[in-house]
Formats: sequence, structure tokens, C-alpha cells
Amino acid sequence: MMLFHYVHKNTPLHTMDGRIKVLCLVLLSLTASLATDVSDYLLLSAVILTALFVSRLPLIPLLRDMKFFLFLILFVFVMNAIGTGGEPIPDFPIRSVSVAGILTGAMFAWRLILIIILCAIMTGTTSLLVLKKAIEWGLRPIPFIPETRVGTMVNLTFVLIPVVLDQYTEMSVAQKARCVDSRKNPVKRVMFITLPLLSNIFRKTDELIFAMEARCYSEERTKAVFMKVCPMDWLILLICVLTIILMIV
Amino acid sequence: MSPNSNSSNLRMTVYAALFTAFIIIGGYISVPVPVGPVPIVLADFFVMLTALFLGYKWGPVSVALFLALGALGLPVFAGGKAGLAVLFGPTGGFLLGYLLLVIVTGLLTEKIKSVSAKGTLLKNIAALIAGNVLLYLVGVPWLKVVTKLPWSGALAAGLIPFIPGIIIKIAAAVIVAQVLLPRFKQATAQSAPRHEDA
Amino acid sequence: MPIVEARNLSHVFADGTAAIEDVNLQIEPKEFVVIAGPNGSGKTVFIRHLNGLLAPTRGQVLINGESIAKNLLQTRKKVGMVFQDSDSQIVGQTVEEDVAFGPENLNLPPEEVEKLVSESLQAVGLESYAAQNPHTLSGGLKKKLAIAGILAMKPEVIIFDEPFAGLDYPGTVQVLKQIVALHASGHTILLVTHELEKVLAHANRLMIISQGKLVKNGAPSEVIGSCESYGIRMPLRENEGIETLTWLK
Repeated sequence: MMLFHYVHKNTPLHTMDGRIKVLCLVLLSLTASLATDVSDYLLLSAVILTALFVSRLPLIPLLRDMKFFLFLILFVFVMNAIGTGGEPIPDFPIRSVSVAGILTGAMFAWRLILIIILCAIMTGTTSLLVLKKAIEWGLRPIPFIPETRVGTMVNLTFVLIPVVLDQYTEMSVAQKARCVDSRKNPVKRVMFITLPLLSNIFRKTDELIFAMEARCYSEERTKAVFMKVCPMDWLILLICVLTIILMIV
Repeated sequence: MSPNSNSSNLRMTVYAALFTAFIIIGGYISVPVPVGPVPIVLADFFVMLTALFLGYKWGPVSVALFLALGALGLPVFAGGKAGLAVLFGPTGGFLLGYLLLVIVTGLLTEKIKSVSAKGTLLKNIAALIAGNVLLYLVGVPWLKVVTKLPWSGALAAGLIPFIPGIIIKIAAAVIVAQVLLPRFKQATAQSAPRHEDA
Repeated sequence: MPIVEARNLSHVFADGTAAIEDVNLQIEPKEFVVIAGPNGSGKTVFIRHLNGLLAPTRGQVLINGESIAKNLLQTRKKVGMVFQDSDSQIVGQTVEEDVAFGPENLNLPPEEVEKLVSESLQAVGLESYAAQNPHTLSGGLKKKLAIAGILAMKPEVIIFDEPFAGLDYPGTVQVLKQIVALHASGHTILLVTHELEKVLAHANRLMIISQGKLVKNGAPSEVIGSCESYGIRMPLRENEGIETLTWLK
């Protein structure tokens, strides 16, 4: 699974300041949801594909991951092709498919692909530490949100995901070995997986809490340090801002 | 100074992060349905558990973290989708509805006192049903508006295929809570500030 | 003055079972103490009192003559603990970040955190793994990472809870070497295990805990004879001395 697969390289996108990068990501995904006509899509595609090229991320694994989303992309396409309405295509076996529908469907599917590429660039070029620091920094001015606690939670969430997944794989193999598949009752089947999974994970989590306490966990912790933002970062941000302005105009 | 004044907070912080992890993973264990843009996911099962285990104070924290990570563009929503676009897309109502589900279910389970194990069971079932009703009350109209489907279409795509799943998930969540919640609550109570004899 | 002292330490669980009862002991600076006992004897509960993770029902723990209840933070800095399950004490996305967790909790300035991290990684020989994901390390290296995380807090006493559990032969040797080196560099070591054959040769004291009570406490050669009666495998064969009880060559 490609979830959060960071690829260590030395490109402007990798060394970019995390705060600016998150801002760019938000801007670009906003741009993606604003895109309406073909020229918008071309502009957005140009920006995102350039970023992909600059990031020097391996393309083959990315394409392989796309397979994972293929169903979704096709689905978006078909739903729009059928559901948009408009002039039906003569002699086409499915009546509700229209030319306008196919065009909208294609655009929506293309947008989805762009968003997936954008996500891949983000996770591929950003270590979670950088991301966590950026989130913490962004939350600092907001009152009533304890930013260090949120930072810790973001961090722990991603520490715990592989722990839970490992445990889940282990559990389901063990359960299969004991023929859980022959159970008909779906509630029981869910129980046989989740109960041992949760109680094991809870035990591990309790240990983690002890370990954190033993290492003097405190919310008054060393603040994240940021390197000076380099001109390249500002340039990238400028490009993102220009993209969204061009799109709105 | 009490030795563990900090640890009740730490415990809930860690558990909130754990449930966020559960919800994310639940979204990956998703089964697309042949009709409709809403895949059957386990994410909502874990959202239900979040409500029962973390309650109305920490439960929403966990769900909000999940939504925020997705909004930032990390691939945490069902099937690895992400971004503001998803939050405002066809299934966005369900994602925001999760927040309502935890708050309502959490409030109901925590504010209503029950004396017997059977009472707790019934209370949890009722609270989860209420939470789910609210979830779909937000999710289905949202789906209708965004996709411009007629009501019949929105119901067919966003509610009817899920009903058996919802029932199974509510049943499973309630049983999980019945087995694991007493010990969980006890441990939470113990991590609250304590006295030292010294 | 003993560095660690327990006075009449008892812990009764909420359900009324006594986990440990009336434990009295004194550990002098730079000692290497092995605490043995079968599973469920209360070893883990006992050591978790020594840095205040658990609060006693009766009695108290003193570090350098002072009750730990007075200054828990100071205690946890002085008394580091390496937990049995290495996986559930990882809090960082990278090796480096994980080691930084402790010093960051102490709110030290970033430069100092960095210095402590690199010193600690060097001490356990993990410098070259700094940027790696902790979950990809071998069992032995994960344990070393846990040790580095403790060292970054500059502890005087290090407690190991079943450090060899689940480790293969090379992993055990790696970790054992590290523990012996830590003792040589002046740390007081407390090591909980039921696998005496792997480590006892390096200890100057052996304690046996059985059913929550400290039943034996003395030089390894004196105590070893009675270990089978408390459910610990007698590691010595005839005509062999304590010095053979190590997995180091």
C-alpha cells in the first residue's frame, strides 16, 4: 500500500519548507475543485505534472498504485456519463449516456487522477516529521487548540497505523487457521477478528503510554525549528497562487 | 505533586490517536458496492467504537483529527482518497456526519446512567441507532444535492444498500463495547490523579 | 547511600489481589542486579514503582535517599526504563526522532537535543540508521534504539524488563554486549529476566521474586542454588561456575 511512502531524494520539493508545502497543497487541491473547463484542467495538469517531474519520484510504482484507484476513476466516469443528462447519443445501447455526460465524466476522472498524483507527490516528498512540525506551526496562532498535543496525536496516529495493520494481518491469519470462514453469522465473524485485535492493541497502547510517561512526556516540549525559507520555496508558492488566480479569472 | 496528574490526559491523547488510526485503516478495508458512489467501509464501525470508548469529549477529537488529516491532502479517506475536494464531494456529508455521530452517541451513552449490564447494552444500541440516523440524515441529502440525483436515487445509492451492514456493525460494536469497555474505563479511572502514601 | 531503595513496598490491585507485598531492598551505585522470577510473580509491577509509573498502595521508593513522590520528573530522568516490547515504545517515525522524544519532553533547546541524540546513537552504534524507520530494524537493533532513547535523558540507573524476550541469538548477543558496556561506563543496572543463563555472569547480585515477595537477595553464587524451588530453571550444570552464565564469548 502506498500510504505515506516517503522517498528520500534531494529535490527542491523534498527540501521545501513544510509550512509552505502544506499551504501549496491546500491551494492546489482548492484549485482542483474550482476547475471547470478544459483550459482550467490543462493549466492544473501542467502545474501538477511539472511538480511530479521535479520531484523525481519513481513513476512505475505510482502507476501501479493508480491501479488501486482504477475502479474509483472508472466509477466516477460512468456515473457522470450516465447521470449528467443532455442529448443522448443516437444508436448507443444505454440511453441515458450523453456526449455532455461523457465529457463531464472524463473531466471528473481526470481531476481525480490529478488529485491522486498531488497526494502522491505530497506524501512522497514529505517526511512525517516535517508535516507534523508544519501542522504544529499552523495551529500555534489558533487559540484553544493545544498544538503540541495535536502534533503528538498526528505523530502517534502514524506510528500506530503499522502496529494495528501488523496485528490485523497476524490475527486474520490465526483466525483463518482456526476456520473462522466457516462461520455463517456475520456479527460473529466481525467479533472473532475485532475482539482479539482490539484487546491486543489496547495492551500495546497501554505499554506505549507507560513508555511515554517513563520518558517524561510533557506538552511543554522543545519547539520545532525551521530552516530559513529559501527563495525557491517562495517561487513555488507564487506558482501555486498564480495558478489559482488564473483559474478564477 | 501527584505522580500521575498528567497521565489521564496523556492516556486519552494516545487513545484518541489510536482511534484515528483505526478509522483510517477502516477506510482502507472498504468494499465498493455495485451501485452508488458510497463504498461499504469499516470506517463507520470504528467511528461507532470511538463514540462508545472515548465519549463525547475525546471522540470528536479523534474524528476531527481524521477529517483534518484528510482535508490537508493526506490519503486517509475511504480507499485512499484525500483533500478538501472529497470533504465537499458526494460523500462529504457522511464524513462530517461522523462528527455528529460521535458527539450524539457519546453524549447519550455518557449522560444516561445505566445500572445493569443489560441496561448498558440497550443504551448503547439506542445511542448508536440515534447516531447513525443522524449520520444518514446529513449524508443522504448531501449526496442528493452534490450529485443532483433524485431522492429515489440518493436513497438507493446512499442508504438502502448499507442497511444490513449498519445493523451488523451496530451489533458488533455493542458487543465489543460490552466485552472491552469495563476494563478500559477502569484503566482510565486509575490513570487519573492518585495519592501517594509517602 | 543506596541509589535505589524500596521500603515496605506493596501494591494491591483494584480487585484486591496483592501484586507485590512488603518488598524491601537497597541497591548501591554501579551495581548490576538481576531480578528473577517466574511469569506473574510481580517483577514487572515491582520495577514500575521504581520510576513512579505505578504508585504503591503502601511503602515508598527512594532514589538517592529522596522519596520519588516529591519529584517524579527528576526520578524518571535518573531512572531509565527499557520495556519488554520494543515495538510499543517506539514513538518516532525515524530512529533519530524517536531518540529525540525524551530530551524534547524536557524542553531542552534544539541544539542540545541534537547533541544528545547524536551522542546516544553513537553510544549504541546506531548512527548510520538515524534516518531509518524504526519498524524496519531487527529485534536487537530495536532494543538498542530503546536504550538510546533512554540514554538521551542521561540516566544513572537503567532498568531492563526481560530484555532478551523474543530476540534471536545474534540479537541477544548485541543487546547483552550493550548492557555490559553500559555497566562498565558507570550505570547502575537492574535487569529482570527468567533466563539466567544468558546474563548472570555479569551480575554482582541476584534477587528472586516469587508471588509478589522478595524471597532471595544475595550474591549470585549463594542464591542460584535455590532458584528451581521458585520456578526458575537452574542454569548451572555440575562443575560449572557462575562465570559460564553468559551468551558472550
